[in-house]
Amino acid sequence: MDATTPQPLPVQPVQNALNLICIIKSPEAQQHLETLLTQHALDNAKILNAVGTVHFARFVFLENNTKLALFTEYDGSLDTYVMDFVKAASPLFNMLLQHVADPPPLPVESKPQEFLDWVKKHDLPSVVPLYSAYPTLTVQDIVSNLMPNAGATASESVSQSG
Amino acid sequence: MAGELALEDIQGVILRGYTMPLQRHFLLGVTEATGARRLLARLTSGEADTPQIVSAAPWAAKPDSLLNIGITFEGLKALGLPEEFLESFPAEFIRGAGDLANAPALGYTGESDPAQWKAGLAWKEGKPAPAHLLLFLYAQDEAARDAATSQLTQLFAESGVNVLSIFDGAELRDHRVHFGYIDGIAQPRIEGDPLMRSEDNQPLSPPGAFLLGYASQYPHFMYPVPAPAEIWKNGSFAAYGILEQDTAGFEAYLTQAAAEHKCSKEWLAAKICGRWRNGIPISLSPDTDKPDPPLPFEEWNRFDFVRTAEHQDVFDDSRGVRCPIGSHIRRNNPRGGRVAGNGGHLHRLMRRGIPYGPEFDPASPHDGRERGLLGMFICVSLKDQFEFLMIEWVNKDAFGLLGDRDPLVGANEIGTRRFRIPMPDGKSPMLLQNLPRFMTTRGAAYCFLPSLTGLRYLAALSE
Repeated sequence: MDATTPQPLPVQPVQNALNLICIIKSPEAQQHLETLLTQHALDNAKILNAVGTVHFARFVFLENNTKLALFTEYDGSLDTYVMDFVKAASPLFNMLLQHVADPPPLPVESKPQEFLDWVKKHDLPSVVPLYSAYPTLTVQDIVSNLMPNAGATASESVSQSG
Repeated sequence: MAGELALEDIQGVILRGYTMPLQRHFLLGVTEATGARRLLARLTSGEADTPQIVSAAPWAAKPDSLLNIGITFEGLKALGLPEEFLESFPAEFIRGAGDLANAPALGYTGESDPAQWKAGLAWKEGKPAPAHLLLFLYAQDEAARDAATSQLTQLFAESGVNVLSIFDGAELRDHRVHFGYIDGIAQPRIEGDPLMRSEDNQPLSPPGAFLLGYASQYPHFMYPVPAPAEIWKNGSFAAYGILEQDTAGFEAYLTQAAAEHKCSKEWLAAKICGRWRNGIPISLSPDTDKPDPPLPFEEWNRFDFVRTAEHQDVFDDSRGVRCPIGSHIRRNNPRGGRVAGNGGHLHRLMRRGIPYGPEFDPASPHDGRERGLLGMFICVSLKDQFEFLMIEWVNKDAFGLLGDRDPLVGANEIGTRRFRIPMPDGKSPMLLQNLPRFMTTRGAAYCFLPSLTGLRYLAALSE
């Protein structure tokens, strides 16, 4: 094996990546989005805390502010958690999606399957599978192990999980 | 919402537990559609001397016996429901309980493999099981059960059905299940049901979490009603299961683990379940199954695991030092507790069940007799309730337990056979290891529970 031989990838992580890209309606809509995201940053963080499956999430404006991207790493599958996710995060998505060029039916909670289909349609695949420094740990694993003695026994540690 | 439930149209088992001591489940195959439809007509006719399918309307007097019925997707086909209506049913119901692609995630592996299920329910070579109609007979005593059976047997002979299997269930003493626990204490309380149970500190379930045609547990969302919608409103779905319980194995494990960890066997049993075997919740009485003063039965379900906005006077058991986060009742009904997706109140099931097999005798633990539970898990969405619960909460870990499964009913395997018991005062958790699989699925089926309107519609179908 030499330096050019591809190395086997780490174990398939429990986390998944979403690269959601949508076209913004207009420059005015982009201004509204920037204001909304800034004003509601704390509310949105509380929503994602409650959902309990999202590791990281960030919104990025692309291509001279003509596109809005959401990059997130989350646990489980979109299909499995769509109903719970929509219930929790519908305020966030209803607020934002009215400013995109081809939104799903709104409010998203009235048609969750259509919302899921729209997310999948606008999800750009990653070039290679997601890399994770902790491929076996979910948000719940990490949060619960932050509590004193809540998860691991004296002989276990988070690094030995799985 | 009070008064808006069409109780006279909803099959009784969806809203009522009946508490009859005996049940007999007939698994029927439709051999001739016209005859089978005639059977449905007789069972919903109101005629005397013919067992009748009952609704959820209040009784003037409790009958000696009663019937309810579930129909599989293959059964709807066999009865002649038009193709365009069949296609409108939910995908998971069409797929069926034993579909090979989904069986592993549901825990139907090893001895629980659908190919090995009992007659009428087994999926041979990946093909749907032959059970079309599941007729549930509830009876006050053996005389009533046998009388109804005699009448039904005559009806079957005159109709286009054959009997694939019959399964009998009987209450054990004190309403316990074979694992020794009193069962059926916690059930969803449905908004608008005049006979709902006492307060349990949990939100009322919207009718649409258990009945087609009503607003669901998800805001602004009603689960689609299959076509024709006006016919199938007030119907529901159920996952039927024959669940063998390895009682001898459970007792032996408790004995061994209690010795290893130098604790009480009953304390371990309580931690694994989340209730003492006499039904007292460990969330309210963590140290004894005989709290002083005694806890009245109406209070046995009135608790949460964390403080909520509505209930501040609750012991905050976020760490699980009273009721372990991975315990059976906590992971099957997280209430306000933390869980991936935050859907603690959104995936509830109406659970109906009755033990089968002889009562376990500790003096003869290896009697070679099969015993377990005939269960029915009722919900409006098999995908979002029954399957979600079995896949995500029972056989996977949505709670931060590093992969542990339900200790009592999970499909435990090497690598997942652990159960953590958090300890108070900063001590390290107690870790139970090498948990065997205590429950094996010996049969399962997804049924549609049509309303009385729906049953009469099916009865009136023509070729």
